[in-house]
Amino acid sequence: MSEPITPYQVAPKTPLAGSAASEIREQGEMTRRSFPLVLTTAWAALAAAVGGLTTIFVRFLFPNVLFEPVQKFKAGFPADYSVGEVDERWKDKYGIWMVRNQEMMYALITTCTHLGCTPNWLPSQNKFKCPCHGSGYYRTGVNFEGPAPRPLERAKIFIDAADGQIVVDKSVQFHQERGEWTNADSFLKV
Amino acid sequence: MTFLKNFINVLSVASISFILLSSVFAMLVYFCLLDGRVKTKGGTGFLVFGAILVVAGLFVRPLLYLAVAYFLVLWALAKIGPRLWEPKVGKWLLIAGLGGFALSMFDPNFYLIAAKPDNVPIVAMIFLLAIFTWIALRKAYLNDHAILAGGIPYEKTESDEKLFTWPDLVYTEMLCMILLTIVMVVWSVGLRAPLEEAANPTSSPNPAKAPWYFLGLQEMLVYFDPWLAGVVLPTLIIVGLMAIPYIDTNPKGNGYYAFRERKWEIGVFLYGFLVLWSFLIITGTFLRGPNWNFFGPYEYWDPNKLEPLVNVDLSELVWVKLMAMPLPKLWVIREAPGILIVLLYFALAPALAARPFRRFYLKMGGPRYYVGAFLFLFMLALPIKMVLRWLFNLKYLVHIQEIFFNI
Amino acid sequence: MTLKQVQEGIVNSQVWKSIFRVGIPNTNRKRVLAVLGSLILHLHPVKVRRSGVRMSYTWCMGGTSFFLFLVETVTGLLLMFYYRPTIEYAFTDIMDLREQAPFGIMREMHRWGAHAMVIAVWLHMFRVFMTGSYKPPREFNWNVGVILLVLTLLLSFTGYLLPWDQLAIWAITVGSNMARASPGAGTEGPMSSLMKLGDVPLIHAGDDARFALIAGRSIGAATLLRFYVLHCMVIPLAAGFLMAIHFWRVRKDGGISGPL
Repeated sequence: MSEPITPYQVAPKTPLAGSAASEIREQGEMTRRSFPLVLTTAWAALAAAVGGLTTIFVRFLFPNVLFEPVQKFKAGFPADYSVGEVDERWKDKYGIWMVRNQEMMYALITTCTHLGCTPNWLPSQNKFKCPCHGSGYYRTGVNFEGPAPRPLERAKIFIDAADGQIVVDKSVQFHQERGEWTNADSFLKV
Repeated sequence: MTFLKNFINVLSVASISFILLSSVFAMLVYFCLLDGRVKTKGGTGFLVFGAILVVAGLFVRPLLYLAVAYFLVLWALAKIGPRLWEPKVGKWLLIAGLGGFALSMFDPNFYLIAAKPDNVPIVAMIFLLAIFTWIALRKAYLNDHAILAGGIPYEKTESDEKLFTWPDLVYTEMLCMILLTIVMVVWSVGLRAPLEEAANPTSSPNPAKAPWYFLGLQEMLVYFDPWLAGVVLPTLIIVGLMAIPYIDTNPKGNGYYAFRERKWEIGVFLYGFLVLWSFLIITGTFLRGPNWNFFGPYEYWDPNKLEPLVNVDLSELVWVKLMAMPLPKLWVIREAPGILIVLLYFALAPALAARPFRRFYLKMGGPRYYVGAFLFLFMLALPIKMVLRWLFNLKYLVHIQEIFFNI
Repeated sequence: MTLKQVQEGIVNSQVWKSIFRVGIPNTNRKRVLAVLGSLILHLHPVKVRRSGVRMSYTWCMGGTSFFLFLVETVTGLLLMFYYRPTIEYAFTDIMDLREQAPFGIMREMHRWGAHAMVIAVWLHMFRVFMTGSYKPPREFNWNVGVILLVLTLLLSFTGYLLPWDQLAIWAITVGSNMARASPGAGTEGPMSSLMKLGDVPLIHAGDDARFALIAGRSIGAATLLRFYVLHCMVIPLAAGFLMAIHFWRVRKDGGISGPL
C-alpha cells in the first residue's frame, strides 16, 4: 500500500529531476576551481563600474568651453613706447607690461609666478614688487627677492605685417628658466 | 612707543619674537608646570642658552636685545613658578594683557590694524586662547599634584556622579544658546562686515591677505615653495592630527586634564598649536604690511618701505662663498649638499635618535616611532627654515630649477 | 483664575498632551521620559556625568560650534533669497543686503558667525586634546572631528569669494594657486615639466587641479558659481552627515568626555 499523502509531506529535493531545468542547474553549479575566477571577475567588474563612474564625475568638473577674455591684442606701434621705460598702459585691460630697452621690446605677463597676484611696478626702486608675499623682480622680469620661484613670463610678441602694429598673444608664454627667452617670438628687435 | 620703535630692529622683529616665544614656552613648561628651579640641571640649560645668545649678540646686534628680553623672562618665570596658576595671578595677568592692549590702541598705527573689522576676531581669539590655555594648564597642574600625592585627578572623584539631562544639561545648553545669540546680535549690529570695492582682476590690493585663519599658511609661503607650504604641509598637518590617537599609546590621562603624565604629547601639540600656528597667524595679521614687508608693532605701514632682501641658495653658499669656485653645471652635484642635508634630516635623524630616545622606541614600537618622528621632523622643519632665512637669507636648501623641485 | 490654573489648563489640554506626552518633568521618572520621548533631546543620554555639565571642564565649545553651524544655516538660507552668484550681480546684491535689506544684519551675522565658528572649533579641538579625550575608545571620533575642522575651514574659504569684492577675489587667487602647485596634479608642481608624452605636456593650465577647482584658467564667473554650490550645498551636507556621526559616536564611545 502506498503511503498516504499528508499535507505535511516534505517536497523531494529535486522536484524536477531529469527535467531540462535540473540540467541547467547542474551545469551552473559552481565548482571549487571556478569559484576564485568568478569572484575575481565579479570584483573586477564592480571596481571597473565604480572607477568608471568616478571618472565620469571627476571629468564632469573639467569644462570643455571656457568663457574667458581674449588673449591676443594689438598694442600700437613700437614708436609709441619710449626707451628705458616700463609701460603700464595695457596692465589693467590685458595684464601686460611692455618693456623697451636699447635693443629690444618684450611683453611681460603681470602675474606673479609665486601665487598669481599682480605685482606693482615701483619706478623709484626699479623693480616689480608683489604685494602678496613680497616677491621682487628686476625690470627684465628675473626674480631676485621674496618667495617667487622663477622669473615672470614673457608673452608672444610680433609685428603684424599688414599694418605694422605690435601684436601680443598671451596664450603663448616663454619661460626664462626653460631657456625660452632666446626664442625669436619672445621679444621684438627695435 | 617711539622708544620701542627705535629699540627693536624691525628687520628681525619676527625672528626675535619667535625665538623668544619658543623659549618662553619652554620656560613656562619647566618652571611653572614641572616645578623646575634655576639651580637644577634644566635651569642651567636655560642659563647656558642665554649665555650663547649674549655671545652671539656681541656679533649680531639684534640678538643682544633678544638676550636682554630672554633673561627678563627667565627671571620673571622662575620667580613666579607654579604660582602662575593661582586665580589671583591669572586675573592680574589678564588685566595686564587687556590694559596693554587698550594702551596700545592709543597708537594710531596699532589702532588702524587692530580695529580693522576682519582683525577683531583675531584679537578676540588671542585673548580666548590665552584664557583657555591658562584654565587647561591650571587644571592640569592641580591634577598632577593630586596624583603625585597619591590621589586621583579631580574629574575622577566625580565620575560616578550622574546628573539628569533634564534639567541640568538642557538648561545649561539653553543658557549658552541665549548668551551666544545675544553676543552674535550685538556683534553684528555693532560691527559691519567688511566689504571692499568690487573685484578687479588686474590690481592686487597691497598687502593682499588671505582670510585670517589661513594667514598661518600664507606666512609659511614666505619660507617654502607653494607645493610644500600650500599642499604638502597642510596635508601633513591634517594627517598628523588624525594620526595622534594611533601614535600616542600612552593609556594615562584619558578624559581628564593632566600634564606630567603626558609631557611630550602636550608639549609637542602646544608648541605646534600655540607657538607655530598662532604665532604665524599673528605675524601675518599684525606684522606684515605693504609688499609683505615686516613691520614692528607700532610702526607706520609705509608702502614705499625699502627692504633689500636678496636671498641666496645653499648651493651658492657652499660652492661660491665657501669653496670659492663656480657653481657645478650638473644639478646633481650642484645640489648635493642640500639633498644630503634633507636626506640626513629625515632618514638618519630618527634612526640616530632611537638610541637616546630608546624609551619612546621601546614603548611605541618601530612603525609608530618612525611615523611619529617623521611627522615631528616635518613640523620642526618650519621653524628651522624660518630661522635659517632670518639668519642667512637662505632661500632654498635644494634648488633644482631644471625640474622645478625646490625645498 | 490663577496663573497656576492657567498653566495646568494648558499642560492638561489634549493639544499639549499630544505633543509633549510627559507633562512637566518634575519627577525623576518624567525627566527620563522627557529625554527619551523627544527626537531632539534624545541626542543626549538620560543621565550625564557631572563633568559633562561643568562648563570649566567642557568649555561648551563643541556645543557652541554646533550652535554656530545652525546660525550659519539659518542666516545663510536668508541670504540666498537675495544673492545671485553671477559676476554682474554678486557684488551689488551684497551691497543691497548691506544697505537696503530689512534688518540688514544677516550678512554681518553670517560673516561673524563664520569667524566665531572657526575659533570655537579650534578651541573645541584644543580642549579635547588637553583632556586626552582622543584616546581609546574615542580615536575614530577624533578623526571625524578633524575632518569636520577641515570642512569648517573649507566652508569659510568658499564663502570668502561670494561677495566678489577685492578681498574675495585675491584671497581666492592666492588660495587656488596653491592647488596649481600640487605635486603630480598641478602645472607648477615639482617635476611637472617631466610629465609629458613627447612634446605634449600631460599637466597644463587647462587640466590641472586648479582648473578643476576654479573651472577655468583664471577666477571668473564659473568659479563663482562653483564656489557657491560648494558653499551652499556640497560642504554643508557633508558636514551635516559627519556631525550626525560625531554626535552619535560621542554617546557610543562613553559619553561626553570624562575619565574612562
